[in-house]
Formats: sequence, structure tokens, C-alpha cells
Amino acid sequence: MINNKFLSSQEGSSAKYFMLSAIVWLVIGMGLGLLGALEFSFPDLTKGISQLSFTHIRPAHVNMVAFGWLSMANIGSCLYIIPALCKTKLFSEKLANFACHVWNLVIGLGCWSLMNGYTEGREYAELREPFDILVLVGLLLLSYNLFRTVLNRQVEKLYVSVWYIMGAFFWMPLVYIVGNRTFVAMDGLNDGILNWFYGHNILGLWFTVLGVGIAYYMVPKMSGKPIWSHSLSMLGFWTIAFFYAPTGTHHLLQSPVPEWAKALAVIFSAALVIPVITVLTNFWMSMKGSWWMLSTNMPLRFVLTGALFYLFTCIQGPFQATRGINWYIHFTQWVVGHAHAALLGTFTFFVIGSLYYGLQRLTGKRIYSVRLVKWHYWLLFLGFSIFYLTLTVAGLQQSAGWALGYPVGQWSLTLPPMWFSRAVGGLMMFFSSCLFAFNIYKTLTAKQSSSDESELDMAVPVGKGGN
Amino acid sequence: MASEVKKIGAKGYILPALVVAATFITIYTVTVIIPDMKVMKVDPTKYAMEYIEKDTNGKPIIDETGKPKLSEAGRGRAVYVREGCVYCHSQFVRPQDRDFGSRVHAGDYANETPNVLGTSRTGPDLSNEGGKMPDAWHVGHLIDPRAYTPGSIMPSFSFLSEEDMGDLVAYLQSLGRKRLEDPKNKGVYEAYYPEADTAFWQKSEHHKPNVDSATAANGGAGIFRQNCAVCHGTNGLGNGPNALAMNKKPANFSRPFFKAYSDKTWYYKVAEGVPGTRMPRWKLILEPEQMWYLVAYLKTLPQDQEVIIQDYQSIDDKAWEGQSILPNKLRASYQKLGEAKLHGTYQANPGGLTGSETEGGSSGGH
Ligand code: HEC
Ligand code: HEC
Ligand code: HEM
Ligand code: HEM
Repeated sequence: MINNKFLSSQEGSSAKYFMLSAIVWLVIGMGLGLLGALEFSFPDLTKGISQLSFTHIRPAHVNMVAFGWLSMANIGSCLYIIPALCKTKLFSEKLANFACHVWNLVIGLGCWSLMNGYTEGREYAELREPFDILVLVGLLLLSYNLFRTVLNRQVEKLYVSVWYIMGAFFWMPLVYIVGNRTFVAMDGLNDGILNWFYGHNILGLWFTVLGVGIAYYMVPKMSGKPIWSHSLSMLGFWTIAFFYAPTGTHHLLQSPVPEWAKALAVIFSAALVIPVITVLTNFWMSMKGSWWMLSTNMPLRFVLTGALFYLFTCIQGPFQATRGINWYIHFTQWVVGHAHAALLGTFTFFVIGSLYYGLQRLTGKRIYSVRLVKWHYWLLFLGFSIFYLTLTVAGLQQSAGWALGYPVGQWSLTLPPMWFSRAVGGLMMFFSSCLFAFNIYKTLTAKQSSSDESELDMAVPVGKGGN
Repeated sequence: MASEVKKIGAKGYILPALVVAATFITIYTVTVIIPDMKVMKVDPTKYAMEYIEKDTNGKPIIDETGKPKLSEAGRGRAVYVREGCVYCHSQFVRPQDRDFGSRVHAGDYANETPNVLGTSRTGPDLSNEGGKMPDAWHVGHLIDPRAYTPGSIMPSFSFLSEEDMGDLVAYLQSLGRKRLEDPKNKGVYEAYYPEADTAFWQKSEHHKPNVDSATAANGGAGIFRQNCAVCHGTNGLGNGPNALAMNKKPANFSRPFFKAYSDKTWYYKVAEGVPGTRMPRWKLILEPEQMWYLVAYLKTLPQDQEVIIQDYQSIDDKAWEGQSILPNKLRASYQKLGEAKLHGTYQANPGGLTGSETEGGSSGGH
């Protein structure tokens, strides 16, 4: 009985559990982000409470949204997409459900331990030994599961999404092993190089590859039109595989690490324009003649808004990786803006579209309220726009301060309006996530949707059956 | 219906998979393994810190757990990592950073792990923090940053235990300390000043006195009392009567940190002022020659231990007795001189009111 409930072997159950867990972590993680943002405006807000001090909130926020929300939502989508594309069942639902429990444990306890200062101290790899091992167990189980599923497939050719997703599940365990002090530790600056090899490659070989893979599935599915060019999509895959990994050192471009490593990173960063352009060209050309769908189809609107922010991120990226521009904007909130444009603006938008699409099919229920979906979209979009714009401007103010040699205590006095408006944007986003969670909760528990059938079909269609 | 299931397997996809794997491994080797290999690894410089305790033979002391025993500053480093100061403070100085002390080299970090380089500077860089502030300042600032730097957004770390606090401050004081104390570094403070501004530096060479001479320092002391003491105090301790009401307090020149300033750095600071504070741009008011006299004097002020000021100097006349303060007549002329320079009507020798006359008043000529 318990075995059945916790390790269900029902088809699609693991995808569903991953997605639902992710939504819970999204709400909590964004709440932590919001608290962190508020502490910039009101630095004594949580004075004296060590768990809630900004320095403890921040790693908990980053780990929770990156691993709890984004990774788990992406994994959930993959557990749905891969069987669908392979026209077969998942190799083992039980195993995937087990991985889901393991990850939930890690995120919950891990982030609590980070708030208590139990940290490895490397950015993005803060989780300590026991959690590292559990994360890895979960990852390896998932990789095994998905690879076996692909081997069991009933279609000859692999669609590009499968390439991307398989790539991610191959790279991520390796990147995780080399990046964590539990497994590999180095001294001095090499520790920094390793830190950013890892830090950059969970972004490039995990979030990007998974996110793009999912979007490659969702865009044609939701718009009902085939992908514009398959060869272009393969070019994108191979250029990511070749160009992403060596660029980690562009995060240390001004520190005293070896110059050749920096040069390598800058060159490959510039080359990253190629995969980005191929992906975006492909999405947009696929949409040719179907752009009107954005006015009604909400999941599609989420995915394509994500694609817009992908463009912003990846114009910013290669430019700020050049020495001249990095000289100016490094160390400032500009980078934090870029980080959110990537993980929130792009990949969170992608995967929210995918959750609206996937959850309806996995649960067999229609979304509870179309109106809430629209509120979710607009609050998130506007909140994020405020957030991103503010941080970019704040970053430029800070850069000007550094470039002119003003004392920190001077230019930082000009920033409070920026900190405040970031918190306002954050509040809107946090609220939108609460609406999202509420809507999904109602979808699962309410007998039927509050919106009528025709409205649902327009706004959040389930799509045609089959593949 | 197992019989219906075709096995397609990995056919045709083995090669791509191998290419993906090989690429990744190559890249990892090149970008991570090679820099860490013996031949490529940088040796520790003499500024590299060792945060462990050693016995009299120079051997690390091993504690009960079998690991080298950490020194006080070493334990402080662990607190620094645990408390996540790295999210707001970097620990490397770039060529363009003005005011953050000597630049760093890869070997300076050789014995440290995990790295605390940092990628964000919401607060200032800390690589040369040691010796800048007294211990008491650090403790007070960590407990209540806003009492020490109005408007600061640094979180309060009032929850740290006394022991952790002591260790953390010891660590902060260790940062860049070896660079600071190296006599070789005396006067090679790599601060940011626009070398390229040739007009500025050319002008400064005009009538440049010998800044190492006692006479020049004496002359500077006079100019200092007349122009600077109201803020910086009669002895340059930053406790002039004006300082009481300022948010950004005037510098206390007795700090050991200032030993590392080069002549040019001093000169540049005096000439350009500190943007955003009350410290004026003295080049609008003083002649290059006068500013060099000031430099000669300022150089003599830094001490091995910062003199901690108890109170601000009173504006009571008695406190200033014996200090030659600029006569009113001259002060008015200075103002005129400054305005003339601002409006571009300044001439090199406007009726005998040049710098040399002032120096005559304060240092007895040269
Ligand atoms: C939210 C970001 C933030 C965090 C986290 C933070 N600081 Fe700061 N820190 C600042 C800012 C901003 C300033 C500049 C204003 C001031 O002096 O308070 C500063 C100033 C300082 C200074 C004075 C530097 C100087 O030369 O003027 C020291 C020392 C310092 N911080 C140490 C620490 C330590 C140690 C920690 C960790 C326990 C820490 N800070 C955590 C933001 C932060
Ligand atoms: C109106 C008050 C005032 C007067 C008058 C004044 N200063 Fe300052 N001075 C300041 C303040 C405020 C600072 C900023 C301290 C800081 O940045 O922490 C400063 C900073 C400095 C610094 C830079 C210290 C550093 O941290 O690098 C130097 C050098 C200096 N003053 C020299 C002088 C000299 C020489 C004179 C007289 C010719 C003078 N000051 C007159 C207020 C004053
Ligand atoms: C309510 C919404 C959010 C708010 C208010 C918020 C706020 C913040 C704040 C204040 C920081 C610290 C910045 C600093 O160190 O100066 C931060 C960092 C970060 N957040 Fe968020 N965040 C939100 C949502 C998200 C989401 C959804 C993601 C990812 C999916 C995310 C990913 C990150 C990352 C990766 C960093 C580290 C950035 C860096 O080091 O440059 N955040 N966030
Ligand atoms: C397309 C090419 C991209 C390039 C060349 C690029 C380049 C850079 C550079 C140079 C930095 C460091 C800036 C600095 O600290 O000075 C940076 C930071 C960052 N990038 Fe990108 N970026 C790209 C795309 C992306 C994508 C797709 C993601 C998300 C998956 C992403 C996530 C981040 C994050 C989270 C940071 C902040 C790291 C930190 O904590 O400091 N970037 N990027």
C-alpha cells in the first residue's frame, strides 16, 4: 500500500510528482529571493536572526530555485517528453518516483542546512557532502532510467529534443562530480577555476540544454506546426556541445588566473552566438504565420516570451564576456540581472509553458481557471521586466562608481530606489507564483474547471492526441 | 505483448555519443586539469597566507582530528566562508581599482581553499583590508554597520559568538597584511591615478621640492594646519572640529595603511579630493608646489599603530593656541585666487599673492 503510494508505478506519475514538487519549491524559493531583496532596502529587517541573514538566505534561494524549482520542473517535463517522443513507457516509474523523493529530501534539508551556515562555500555548489551524494544518486538513477527508455523506443530516428535531453543527462552527473568539493578539491586559484567550470556548466550543459530541448518539443506541439529546420537544430546541439564547456573562466576574467585560460573562455563565449541564433531562428521561423496564436494560447505565450528573454540574455552574454565590457560591468548587479534573465526570464518561462501543457495531460483534468493563468502571465512578465530593468540600471550605476574610483559608501547611497523597485518586481513575481500554485492545486482537487470548455480550448488547449 | 516490441537500441548513435563524451573530457582536461598540474601550478608567493599554526621547527601542528591546526585567522577564514561574506565582497584588486591597495598575484592564494575570490562587489574589495581599521572598528561595524557607515546595506552580524567574532576580525586583519608590511612595497602603492593625464603631471613637476626633506615636511605642516586641520585635526588624526558633523569622516593619517601610498598617490588625492565627500579638490586652490609640501608632511604621519581618537578637537581657541592659522586677509585672497582659477582669469603672478608668499608665512622660506 505504502509502496504503491510513494513508489507508484502508474504511468506518468513520476513526471507529475516532479512537476508538482517543483511548484512548491518555486513558491518557497521565490519567497526567499523576495526576503533577500527586501533586506537590501531594509538591512535590519531580520537583524539578529542568523538563519534569515542575507548571506544565509542567498545560497538557500539560489539552490532552491535552481535545483528545487528549475531542475525538478525540467526533469518532470523530460519524464513526460521522452516517453512521448519514443512512443514507449518510461523504463521504470518506481525508480523515477524514488529519485523524486530523494531530491525533495535534498532540497528541503539541504536548503535548511544552508540557512544554518552548513555550506561548502563555493557558489552554486554550496550543498555539503551528504546532500551532494544524494543529488548524485538521484541524477544517476534518472539518467539510467531515461537512457533505458530511449533504448526501448519504438521510433527509429531521434527527434532533436531527445538529443538535447540525453546530452543533459549525460553531462550533468559528470559536471556535478567534478564541481563539488565532496568529490574534487583543489587549492588556491585552481579552486576558483574549478568552481566556475562547474558553475558555468550547470548553466550551459544542464539548464540551457534541458530548457532548449523542452522548448523544441513544446513550440511545434503547441502551435501545431513542424519545426522549421532539423539540420539547424542539430547544428545548435553540436555547437553547444563544443563551445559551452570551456567558457567557465569568463566569470573570472579579471582575477589573476592564467591569461590563456581567459583567452580561451572569451573566444568560445563569442562562438556561443551560433547555437543561440540557430535555436531562436528555428523557433521564430516555425511560428511564421502562426503568431496570432499568442493572443489566445497561454502556454505558447509563456514559451515564446521565454525565447524573447533568451535573445536578451544571449546578446548580453557574449558582449559581457569580452574583456572591455567585462572590465566595466563585472562585480555589479548587471550580472545578477543577466543571471535572472537566463534562469527566470528564459528557462522559467519555458518550463511554465511546459507545465501548463503537461499537467493537463498527465492528470487528465482541465486547468481550473483561465483567468488565473492570465494573471500569472502578466504579473510574472511585468514583475520580471521591472526586476531586470532595475538591476541593469543599478549595475550601470555601480560600474560608473567603480570606474570613477568613487568610494563604495558614496555611490551605494544612490541605489536605494533601485533596491526598492527590485523588491516590488519580486513581490509581483512571488504573488504570481502563488496564483500559479493555487490554480494547480484547484485543478487537482476541484471537480471541474471554473472556465467553460471553449475558453479552455482557446487559452490552454490540451492539444491533439498522439505524437 | 512483449513480442511486438522491436529493439532498436543505440544503432547509429554510438559514434555521436562517443564524440560528445570525448569532447567533454578533452575540455575538462584542458581547462581544469592542466592548470592544476605540477608544471602549470603557480608557486606560493611570499605574500601567500598560511592559516595554520606551526611549531618552532616550522612544521604544522596536527590537531586531534588529524588535520593541521588552524590559526586564529584560519578559524576566522572558516567563519568568513560560513557567513557568506563572499556574496558581497571580492578578494582581488584589479588594475583599474582605485583605493584598494597593491595588486594581487595568483601565487598569493596558493594555500587557500575554498576560494573566496567573489564575483560580486556590493561592498568594497577586502584583499588589502588588514591594517586599515582598528579591531574595535571591525567589531562595531560587524555588529551595527549603519552606526559606522551611514546608509550601508551590509547585514548586521550581531548573532556571531564572541569567539567567532574575534576570529573573523583576526582574519580581516590578516588580509594583505604581508603585502602591507613588506618594506619593498613601501611607496609602490598601485593606486589608480590617471598617468595618462600628462598635462596634470607636467604641471605638478613645476617647482617640485624634494619631498623627502625635513624642511619640506615642516613647510607642509604649516600649510596643513591652515587648510586641513579643521577637518583632519591638527595632527592629522581625522579629529578636527569639522569632522564631528560629517557623515564621511576625514581620513586619519596615522593608520599604518597609508604607509603604502606613493608620493604621486598622495599628490593625486590632495589635488583631486575625494569625490562625493567634503574633501575638496585642492588643485583649484593650491599651487602644485604647495601640494608637494603637503605630501612631504603627510608622508611622515602614518604610524605602526593607528592612533585611535577619543574625541573631536574643540573649536575653543585654547586648543588651537600656538597653531598658526591663516590670517583673515590671506584667506580672503585665497578665495579670490580660487575663483580666478575657476573662471579662467587666473594669472601666474597676480600681484604678489602667490604660493611662495604663503609658504614664506608658514615655513620661513626655502
Ligand atoms: C549585503 C552585502 C554585504 C555582505 C553580505 C557583507 N558586507 Fe561587508 N560591506 C558591505 C557594504 C555595502 C560595505 C560598505 C559600507 C560599509 O562600510 O558598511 C561593506 C563594508 C565592509 C567592510 C569595511 C571595508 C572598508 O575598508 O571600508 C568590512 C571590513 C566588511 N564589510 C566585512 C564584511 C564581512 C567580514 C562580512 C561577512 C561576515 C561582510 N562584510 C558581509 C556589504 C556587505
Ligand atoms: C572640509 C573638510 C576637509 C578639509 C578642509 C580637508 N579634508 Fe582631506 N578629507 C576630508 C574627507 C571627508 C576625506 C574623505 C575620507 C575618506 O574617504 O574616508 C578626506 C580625505 C583626504 C585624503 C585621502 C585619504 C585616503 O583615504 O586616501 C587626503 C590625502 C586628504 N584628505 C588630505 C587633505 C589635505 C592635505 C588637506 C588640506 C590641504 C585636506 N585634506 C583638507 C575632509 C577634508
Ligand atoms: C521573486 C522572485 C525573485 C527574487 C526577488 C530574487 C532575488 C534575488 C536576490 C536578491 C539575489 C541575490 C543577488 C545578489 O547577490 O546581489 C538573487 C540571486 C539569484 N537568483 Fe533570484 N530572485 C527571484 C527569483 C529567482 C528565480 C525564479 C531564479 C531561477 C530560476 C533565480 C535565480 C537566482 C540566481 C541564479 C542567483 C545568483 C545570481 C548571481 O550570483 O549573479 N531567482 N535573487
Ligand atoms: C550565450 C552565451 C552566454 C554568454 C557568453 C554568457 C556570459 C556570461 C558572463 C561573461 C558572465 C559573467 C559576468 C561577470 O561576472 O562579469 C555570466 C554570468 C552568468 N550567466 Fe551567462 N552568458 C550566456 C548565457 C547564459 C545562459 C543561457 C545562462 C543560463 C542558463 C546564463 C546564466 C548566467 C548566470 C546565472 C550568471 C551569474 C553567475 C554568477 O553567479 O556570478 N548565461 N554570463
